[in-house]
Amino acid sequence: MMSRAAMHNVQISGAGPPTIVFAHGFGCDQNMWRFVAPAFEDRFRVVTFDHIGAGGSDLTAYDPKRYSTLDGYADDVVALCRELSMTGGIFVGHSVSAMIGILAARKAPELFGKLVLVGPSPCYINTDDYVGGFTEAQISELLEFLDSNHMGWSTAMAPIIMGNPDRPELAKELTNSFCRTDPDIAKRFARATFLSDNRADLDGFSVPSLILQCSDDVIAPQVVGQYVHHRLENSRIVNLSATGHCPNLSAPAETIAAINSFV
Amino acid sequence: MASGEDARALEWAELKDLFETAPCGYISASRDGVIQRVNQTFCEWLGIQGHHLVGKRLPDLLPIAGKIYYETHFAPLLRMQGEFREVALDFLKADGSRLPALVNAQERRDAEGVPQFVRLTIFDATDRRRYEQELLSARASAEQANEALRRLNAEQERIIADEVAQRMAVEETLRQSQKMEAVGQLTGGIAHDFNNMLAVIIAGLNLIQRRISPGNDDIGKLIEASMDGATKAAALTQRLLAFSRQQPLDPEPVNSNGMVAEMSELLRSTLGETIHMETVLASGLWKTVADRNQLENAIVNLSVNARDAMAGGGRLTIETGNAGIDDAYAVEHGIAPGQYVMIAVTDTGTGMTPEVIAKAFDPFYTTKGVGKGTGLGLSQVFGFVKQSSGHVKIYSEIGHGTTVRIYLPRYYGTGEASARKLSGDTPAGAAHEVILVVEDDYNVRELTGQMLRDLGYGVLSADGGQSGLRMLHEHPEVKLLLTDVVMPDMNGRQLVEEALQLRTDLKVIYTTGYTRNAIVHNGVLDPDVQLLQKPATLKALSQKVRQVLDK
Ligand SMILES: Nc1ncnc2c1ncn2[C@@H]1O[C@H](COP(=O)(O)OP(=O)(O)OP(=O)(O)O)[C@@H](O)[C@H]1O
Ligand SMILES: [Mg+2]
Repeated sequence: MMSRAAMHNVQISGAGPPTIVFAHGFGCDQNMWRFVAPAFEDRFRVVTFDHIGAGGSDLTAYDPKRYSTLDGYADDVVALCRELSMTGGIFVGHSVSAMIGILAARKAPELFGKLVLVGPSPCYINTDDYVGGFTEAQISELLEFLDSNHMGWSTAMAPIIMGNPDRPELAKELTNSFCRTDPDIAKRFARATFLSDNRADLDGFSVPSLILQCSDDVIAPQVVGQYVHHRLENSRIVNLSATGHCPNLSAPAETIAAINSFV
Repeated sequence: MASGEDARALEWAELKDLFETAPCGYISASRDGVIQRVNQTFCEWLGIQGHHLVGKRLPDLLPIAGKIYYETHFAPLLRMQGEFREVALDFLKADGSRLPALVNAQERRDAEGVPQFVRLTIFDATDRRRYEQELLSARASAEQANEALRRLNAEQERIIADEVAQRMAVEETLRQSQKMEAVGQLTGGIAHDFNNMLAVIIAGLNLIQRRISPGNDDIGKLIEASMDGATKAAALTQRLLAFSRQQPLDPEPVNSNGMVAEMSELLRSTLGETIHMETVLASGLWKTVADRNQLENAIVNLSVNARDAMAGGGRLTIETGNAGIDDAYAVEHGIAPGQYVMIAVTDTGTGMTPEVIAKAFDPFYTTKGVGKGTGLGLSQVFGFVKQSSGHVKIYSEIGHGTTVRIYLPRYYGTGEASARKLSGDTPAGAAHEVILVVEDDYNVRELTGQMLRDLGYGVLSADGGQSGLRMLHEHPEVKLLLTDVVMPDMNGRQLVEEALQLRTDLKVIYTTGYTRNAIVHNGVLDPDVQLLQKPATLKALSQKVRQVLDK
């Protein structure tokens, strides 16, 4: 049987012994951390990995049922970190992996001493007393779009495939070399992500956590970051000047500095 | 100088014209996606003025799915690769409709390689998208057609498989019936010989019984015991003959409901206290045509089997009903389609495994241990039903019980069942009632003659057809001809034909052990033929002779 590390295309660098593990979110793979992770190599054993179904992970291990909720991903994180003999380490999760990290820490409290949550959201859909940033209608539009409009989404994922249906090899060549995503798996990951509601998992979670909040982030807006901060008893929040959802790419220096101040 | 400035101004104006009116949209954006400059073409496409667009972030122009795609894929990849090509995105227009577009993005760097801004080129992809959509739906319908074809193939395969399975089932049925046929021939042959021997033994015992002095108890008991054994052996051969379908049947119109009702008293006492019996008799039940005695035997055999299967008690149900057998079922089971009367015997007993079901009709197949079962019960049922052009079928489930269904052909005539004939006594005859016995087997002839004499009749005998005819010529006093059916030179039927030419008022009784012969067509008696089954007891002989003479 394949090791967990191999299944997740794990890359390890840096000194250690304390371990810092970086988890990517929906839409990309561990390349997301390529500008940030190296900055920690002098003090930490640095681990980056791909979730099953993303990047260079073992696609044959993708089980639609297991990964239909974030729980399956959290179980993976637990298994992987245990295989890496991690205790009291640092977990840095981007986007949906922020919540995955919290779920994993709840399942295996010994793994992480600190968590960094970059653009976290415990629930994307607004309810009566909660603002998640999306109406239910918007999320169902998104999901319907993913399901029915094969064109729009997959084309966007792998634009060339549609343009040259007779020459799929062209697609491989021309689409990005960084974030390889299987459109079908991406659809399922989107569903698991945008339908998740893990607000209750925030309660009673006391592992020291740092929330990194971007300005002008459609996916995880300010109010959501504040909500997470209020509900996590042992958390700090840092508002970054970076815009969008990926400060790890658009503002690596600011992101590194914020993490450094915490770990 | 002025001309130089003019020239530059002209050039600038021309470049600006190129930029503004190019057949594609141009956007310059900051690295984090804030729009800094946008050309006229793009503004016109969206129906939004340029100054409303500047300062907005690119995702602001996209519908929800595009926004998410931009944040999760577009921006990260552009940042990592420095460019991102041919992305299909929809832009929101001022009127709420969407512009399908193809977007190329490239980071522009300064001389040191530091990214300055992002240049986006946007093509109107309305046509291309439509074409792609057509391509997609063409592919979808091709897939659908393929799928339909695949299903058609699968269906075809299923039909063929069904066909093959059905043929195999028919062949299996055929093979089974051939086997039963063969076993039947064999048992039939043995039973026939055995029967003749028994006839001799029984007749002999009958005569001895009548002759020994009444006081001689010991011999009386011995004879009774021998008689008992011989009678049982006779019953056994009857069952064998029934199975081999060589037993003469005496079919008559039967109302099965009436028959089951008449039998239920007898059955209740046979079944015992622990078995609850009920009958479910269909109203408007058709008549069937069958040999009453054999049908009764069949029902008794089935009920006894049911009883044996319910050692701890249970429920026995006898049900009747009208049934149509359709062509498919008929072909599969090798019977004629049409209307049948169904009699079903159901128990709540142990049930039978498929292996037991497969062998249950075989003669001598029993699971009941030595001395308990002969394995001939169902054989009788099978032989009788087949000989009556009917059908029998076992349905059974282990632990739940068994149903055996008998189907007998519907009788379309209006005839009524005759009254029961046999009574318990041994009617005697008179010396002037002369009977001619024709029988090729010496022992049987002698013994039959002896029995008739004992009954008081006048007896003549002949060993074959020719001598029989001669006797008739010489003895006009003969009232009744009792002839065997199977004889070497002239068979019983031929003898009777000639005898009747000679003596139209002559009465006739055939005796036979089995039916493979002239008076019986397909095992069924011709009307008005009187038949005495061999081996006949004194009682049966006396009753038959009396009945025929008195007609
Ligand atoms: N109603 C039934 N429930 C369970 N098994 C049955 C039933 N009827 C028949 N069988 C099985 O079929 C076998 C053959 O039955 P069949 O009536 O031919 O012979 P038998 O009952 O064993 O002996 P016999 O009837 O000659 O005394 C039985 O031994 C029994 O195993
Ligand atoms: Mg039986």
